[in-house]
Amino acid sequence: MRKIHFKIKRFDGNKEWYQDYQLAYEKGKTILWALTSIREQFDPTLVFTSACRHAICGSCGVKVNGSSYLACKTSLDEVLDTFKTDYLTFEPMGSFEVIKDLAVAWEPKMEKMEKVKPWLIPSVEGDVEGGFIQSEEDFHHIASPTDCILCGICASECNQLAVNDGTYLDPFILNRAYRFAVDSRDGSPEEHIRPVIENELWKCMHCMQCATSCPKGIPLTEQVAFLRQESIRMGEVNNQGAKHAFAFVNDVRTKGRLNETMLPIKTDGLFKTATTKVPFALRMIKKGKINPFHMPKAVEGIKGVQEIYKYAEEVENR
Amino acid sequence: MLKYDVVIVGAGGAGMMSALYASKDPNLSVAVLSKIFPTRSHTGAAQGGINAAMGYRDATDSIEKHFRDTVKGSDFLADQDAVEFFTTHMPELISELDYMGVPFSRDENGRVAQRPFGGASSPRTCYSADKTGHVILHALYEQCLKNKVNFHNDWYLLSLSVDKGKFQGLVAMDIRTGEIHAIQAKSVVIATGGFGRVYWSRTTNAINMTGDGTAACFDVGIPIKDPEFVQFHPTGLASTGVLLSEACRGEGGYLINKDGERFMARYAPEKMELGPRDLVSRSIETEIKEGRGFGDGMGSYVLMDLRHLGKEKIMERLPQVRELAMDFEGVDLITDPVPIRPSCHYMMGGIHVSDYKTCATPIEGIHAAGECCAVSIHGANRLGGNSVADVVLFGKYAGLGARDTAKKRSFTDAKKLQQDAENWVKKFKKMREKKTGINMFEIRDKMAETMWYNVGIFRTEKEMQKACDTIEVLLEQFKEAYIGDSSEKYNMAFINYVEIGNLLKLAKAVAMGAINRKESRGSHSRGDYPTRDDEKFLKHTLIHNEGKKYRLEYSPVTITKYQPEERKY
Repeated sequence: MRKIHFKIKRFDGNKEWYQDYQLAYEKGKTILWALTSIREQFDPTLVFTSACRHAICGSCGVKVNGSSYLACKTSLDEVLDTFKTDYLTFEPMGSFEVIKDLAVAWEPKMEKMEKVKPWLIPSVEGDVEGGFIQSEEDFHHIASPTDCILCGICASECNQLAVNDGTYLDPFILNRAYRFAVDSRDGSPEEHIRPVIENELWKCMHCMQCATSCPKGIPLTEQVAFLRQESIRMGEVNNQGAKHAFAFVNDVRTKGRLNETMLPIKTDGLFKTATTKVPFALRMIKKGKINPFHMPKAVEGIKGVQEIYKYAEEVENR
Repeated sequence: MLKYDVVIVGAGGAGMMSALYASKDPNLSVAVLSKIFPTRSHTGAAQGGINAAMGYRDATDSIEKHFRDTVKGSDFLADQDAVEFFTTHMPELISELDYMGVPFSRDENGRVAQRPFGGASSPRTCYSADKTGHVILHALYEQCLKNKVNFHNDWYLLSLSVDKGKFQGLVAMDIRTGEIHAIQAKSVVIATGGFGRVYWSRTTNAINMTGDGTAACFDVGIPIKDPEFVQFHPTGLASTGVLLSEACRGEGGYLINKDGERFMARYAPEKMELGPRDLVSRSIETEIKEGRGFGDGMGSYVLMDLRHLGKEKIMERLPQVRELAMDFEGVDLITDPVPIRPSCHYMMGGIHVSDYKTCATPIEGIHAAGECCAVSIHGANRLGGNSVADVVLFGKYAGLGARDTAKKRSFTDAKKLQQDAENWVKKFKKMREKKTGINMFEIRDKMAETMWYNVGIFRTEKEMQKACDTIEVLLEQFKEAYIGDSSEKYNMAFINYVEIGNLLKLAKAVAMGAINRKESRGSHSRGDYPTRDDEKFLKHTLIHNEGKKYRLEYSPVTITKYQPEERKY
C-alpha cells in the first residue's frame, strides 16, 4: 500500500523538533484532511488551526515543503505531484510568531495593520442613516481586494518580509490600504496611503510570490504599483524608490534603454553611491558586468519608444 | 481576578456588533473573548445575503411583507412581535453597515443591490457577490480595530457562574497559556454561534460550531428553546459536508444511486431533482437507508451527475461549484459525478431569549444574540438571508441591552465564581494526567452517527428513542473519556473534550425536543406524525437542565397579526 510520509515541525513554546507520521494514501484528499487524520488517529497533541474548511475563514495556512498553502483548499495529490515525492514536510508559515506547532499569532500583524487605518473614513457624501450611493463601477474597484481572508500566505511567501527588519508592511496590509484608498466612499485616501509610504513601500521587489500564491487570486502586486503611483501623485518624489523609478523612466524615454552606470547615482546621489556602492561596482566591472565608460546611445526605434510614452501619458490623463 | 463591566463571548457578527455598541459608553470596560481569531468566525461563511426591505429593487416591497414572509417561513412558530421589530429595524441597519464600509454589490442607481431569495415575496436580499457574510465580518472587525475593542483571542468560555439567580461572571481559559481565569462581570453577551456539529461530519458548519455558549447557559438554568428545529441542505459534499449550491439541480443535474438509477423518479416523478429541499434530502437518505447508496455508515453518499450538461455549460453556469468540487472532493464535474449527501445547515433553536428588545435571558445579566439563541424570529424554519440579518441586528440590541444592564447592576460577590474556576483548574489537571480511557473522538463520532440516522432529516418515535438511549450511554462513556495530551499550553485536546461534552448535552436536548413534538412543522419532519398540529403544538419547546434529567415545558407563541394557515409556496 502506498504510504505518505509526513514530517511536521513541532514547537511547544520552548523546544523545536520534527516529528514523523505516516498515512495510507487516499485519492482526492486535502492537506487539512492529512492534518486532521494525524491528530485524531495518532497524535492529539498536534496543534494547527482550522475552522470553515472551505477557504473563507483563512485559519489554515501552512508551509508544505517550503511553500505556503491554505490546507483546506489544497489537494494532497496536487502537492505530491508538484514536489514529485511522497515525503512532505509541514512547517508553520514564515514571517509569523509561532505559538505552538503550526499555530501562529495574528495580534502583532494586526497592530501593524492599524498603521494604515484599515477602516472606512467616510466621505461627506454619505451618512449613517442613508448610507452611500456608489456606482457599480466603483464597487468593482473594491470587489477583489475585499476577497482577502487574512490567511497570511502572502506574508509567508513575501521575500522582502523574509529579510526586512519588520518595518515593511505585509502584502495583506498593503491590500487593506489599497482597498480603502480606492473606495469611492472613503473621504481621506491619503490617510491610508501615507503610512504605506512611510513604511518602505518601495521595497517590494516584484518577485510576485504574494500574488501567485494568494488563494483568492488578489492581484497584490498591481496594488503595490498603484500605491506607488499615488505616492508620486501626492508629491512623494524625494525618496530612493521614486528616484530609482524616475531614473528608469527618464533613461528609457531619452535612450530607449538603461544607463546602468548612472542608475545608482540617480537613485542615491553621488555621495552615497561613492561611499556605499563603489566596491560593489568594482566587482561588477571586474566580472565584466558593467563598463563604466560605455555611455549608451539611443536605440534604433527611439521614436517609437517615445510614442509609447506619449500614448501612456494620454491614457493616464484621461 | 479579571473584572469587566461587560464581557462578550464570541467575535462573529453578533459578538462584534455587541462589542461596538456596548463600548459606545466610554465609562464601561468591555472585553470580547473568542476561542479563535475574530475574522475566522462562522459569520464569514454566509454567502447569499442579508434581508432588509429597502425597496430598491422592488418598490412594492415593505417591512410588512418581510414580516409576513418570515412568519410564514417559520411555519408560524416565530414570535411575531420580535419578527416585526426585526424587519422594522433592518433597513436602517443596512445603511449603517454601508456607512461602516461593507462593500455591497450595487444596482444601476448606485444603491445597495438586492436579489430574490427562497421564501421571499420580493427581491429584498442585499448582498456582496457570494461573500456577504465574509465582508460584513471583516467590516465589523475593522470597526472594532478603529474603536479599540479589547479582544482576548484564543480564550475559551468554560462556564458561567450564577448563584441564587444572580450572575457573577464567567470562567474562561487562555488557551495559549493554559491559565484558567475567573472573570467578574456585570453583564455578558453570549454570541457563540450554532451547534450544527452535533452531526459532526454531516454539517456545513465550521468545525468549531460546538454550542459552547448555549451549553454554558443551559448549565446555569436558562432553558433551550426549540432545539428540535434543524435546517438541512440536500447537497453537501460527501466527505466534508461543504455546501454545493442549489444551482446544480437548477441547471439540470441528476441524482444517481448505486444501481445507476435517477432515483428521484420514485419520490417526485414530475419534478424529479427539482423537488423542494426537504423532499430531496429525505429521498437521498431513503436511498442510503435502503442500501442503494455508495460507501458505508457516515461515509455513505449518492452521486450528483452533471456530465450531460457538457463542459461549456458547466464552465459558464457553474464555475464556482466546479471549483468547490475539485478543491474539496477532488472531483471534476466535467468528467466525473460528485459524491453528495444532505448536510445540517442551521440551528433555529438555542438559548431562550425572553426579551427581544434587549436580548435578555431569564437570568439578569446574561444576554444572547445570533445562532446560539432563539429570540425567536426563525421559528420552525429560517429563511435564507435572515441569519446574517439576525446576527447583526440582535447583536446590536444585545450590546445595548448588556450595556444598560451593566449600568444598573453592581459587581456581586464572587464566591461561586472563584469556586467554579477552582473546579475547572482541578478538572484540567485531572484530564491532563489521565493516561487511559475512551477515545473522545470515537464518542463524538458515535453521537453524530446516532443523531444523523435517528434525529436527522426524517424522524420517527422508535428511531429517536434509539438516539436518546445511545446519547445516555455516550454521556456515561464521556465520563471515562481520555484526551491524550498532558500539556498545559495550547492544549487543544482539552478544548475539544469540553466541546464534545457541550455537543452531547445539546444533542440530548435536540432529541428530547424532537421526540416530544408529535407533529411535522417546518424543518421538523416526522414520518409518524406527517402534518402540523396547531391545536397541540403551536408552542415553543423549553428544555431545562436539571442535572442528569432534563425537564420539558412549553411556552406560548406570540401571535400579533398572522393567524396560522397552511404553508404553501
